[in-house]
Amino acid sequence: MGKPQYHTDIVKSFVNWSLVWGVVAVLVGVIVSFQMVNPDLNYPPYFTFGRLRPIHTNAGIYGWGVGTIFAMFLYMAQRLCKTPLWSLGLAKFQLWLFNITIAASAVTLLLGYSSTLEYHEMEWPIDIMIVVLWVTFSINIIMTIIKRKEEQMYISLWYMMAAIIGIAILFTVNALAVPVSAFKSYSIFAGTNSANVQWWFGHNAVAMALTAPPLAMFYYFLPKTTGVPIYSHRLSIISFWSLIFMYLWTGAHHLLWTPVPDWIQTLAMAFSIMLIAPSWGSVINGYLSMKGQWHQMRDNYLVKFLILGITFYGLQTLQGPMQAIRSFSAFIHYTDWVPGHIHMGTMGWVSLVSVAGIYFLLPRIYGREVYSIPLANLHFWLVVIGQLIWSTSMWIAGVLQAGMWNAMNADGSLTYTFTETMVEMYPYWWIRAIGGIIYLIGILVFIYNVYMTVQKGKEPAPKLLEVEGRA
Amino acid sequence: MDMASILYLGVTFGLFIIFVLIVRNTYRRRNKEEKEAPKYRMMNDD
Ligand code: HEM
Repeated sequence: MGKPQYHTDIVKSFVNWSLVWGVVAVLVGVIVSFQMVNPDLNYPPYFTFGRLRPIHTNAGIYGWGVGTIFAMFLYMAQRLCKTPLWSLGLAKFQLWLFNITIAASAVTLLLGYSSTLEYHEMEWPIDIMIVVLWVTFSINIIMTIIKRKEEQMYISLWYMMAAIIGIAILFTVNALAVPVSAFKSYSIFAGTNSANVQWWFGHNAVAMALTAPPLAMFYYFLPKTTGVPIYSHRLSIISFWSLIFMYLWTGAHHLLWTPVPDWIQTLAMAFSIMLIAPSWGSVINGYLSMKGQWHQMRDNYLVKFLILGITFYGLQTLQGPMQAIRSFSAFIHYTDWVPGHIHMGTMGWVSLVSVAGIYFLLPRIYGREVYSIPLANLHFWLVVIGQLIWSTSMWIAGVLQAGMWNAMNADGSLTYTFTETMVEMYPYWWIRAIGGIIYLIGILVFIYNVYMTVQKGKEPAPKLLEVEGRA
Repeated sequence: MDMASILYLGVTFGLFIIFVLIVRNTYRRRNKEEKEAPKYRMMNDD
């Protein structure tokens, strides 16, 4: 049987565009971090913190995160199913719609149109575009899986299916709204129901966009990179089903101490703690897959990205359950501790695994060796150091902030005013901004390396040649 | 507890039972080879 002719050009395009949106996300992130230390950098009405922050988060999650998901899923699905993509035309349409949707989101958010739902700020016309985009993508991947030449599905395909179905359901339910004008709508949910649905969406977006897809990539790229299969496919399957089973109930851990019914909060708390097991199932599987291969941490830069990535996932999934405990939540909720948590996940876990995937793909889609391994190593250290400075400064700031908010005088009055607590935050916000700049430099080094690979990279060994028509 | 919460917990419990069956099926000794096969097969999909 001849080798299937996989489509690689479309993967290339998604990689390139996800990089564009990734740079936008990090750049705007650095800008808003400076707006916090220097409020004079706000230029109303457009260039204010309030309008730029959702551009940062949405460009990060949907532009960079989902853009990479598109690229990687289109690449992995073909290989794991040993069949070309079901429809190249549909994928090309998806690429156009993806970029138009992200650009339209950025423009409308800048103009001040917002649904006010976190991570779902875009107004209803853009919601419709997102639904069409996701359906287009889903049909293509699901049909490719249906048409597969491999009977059994590798674990990455399970995670891909979960992400595809999960995001479709979450997004649609949370988007249910009544439009009142071209750019304004009101959610059909109100009061505590609205909060509950929003965080059911919010936390499961973490599960389906920031956990399942990077796990699909991790399980695919780690064995491909080390040359050794994963430790246990059965363990990966059990981790998968338990993760799916447990995540769904955890959304209300964002709503502890609120008017949401107590029993829902308790259920969310219990399931969040149980989530340690499936999360660490994957972490342990990753570590055990390195048995006899740890020397590759020194010799193979891709392994460094992947193993540090899964380590940050492990830390994230210990910290998260801790935050979901009522007493701990009472202390850190609303403080800067939480952005520290988020960014270990996004800058650490998700981004490290995604860039490892991109480095892996470069020789295979461009037919050229990565231009410079020393630059890739420099990129690694800059992003890891930048992220650690970022997160650590926020954890310290959060504890300080919480301590000051809780401090009381003997007569029961508060020791500090809110403004006094804000003033104390400035040194930490400066440190965060510096961490952000270091991270941004890392990303620019990465982009330069990718650009030079495309322009000047050497021809790879024949085994790596997989570019259409050349393999 | 009202009807809604009983339903909510009922669905949770139902899913738990399904999960237990998945674990049993995955870890049955006689299924071992079949369940581990994909990790070897994916290594030569290029
Ligand atoms: C066992 C897994 C996890 C649990 C139980 C968990 C738990 C939590 C909790 C309780 C909060 C709310 C903190 C607060 O506001 O008081 C939170 C926030 C958040 N977590 Fe995690 N986390 C987990 C893993 C992850 C992972 C892997 C990511 C990936 C990036 C992530 C991203 C986020 C984000 C983006 C928020 C912020 C939501 C907001 O805007 O308020 N989490 N997490």
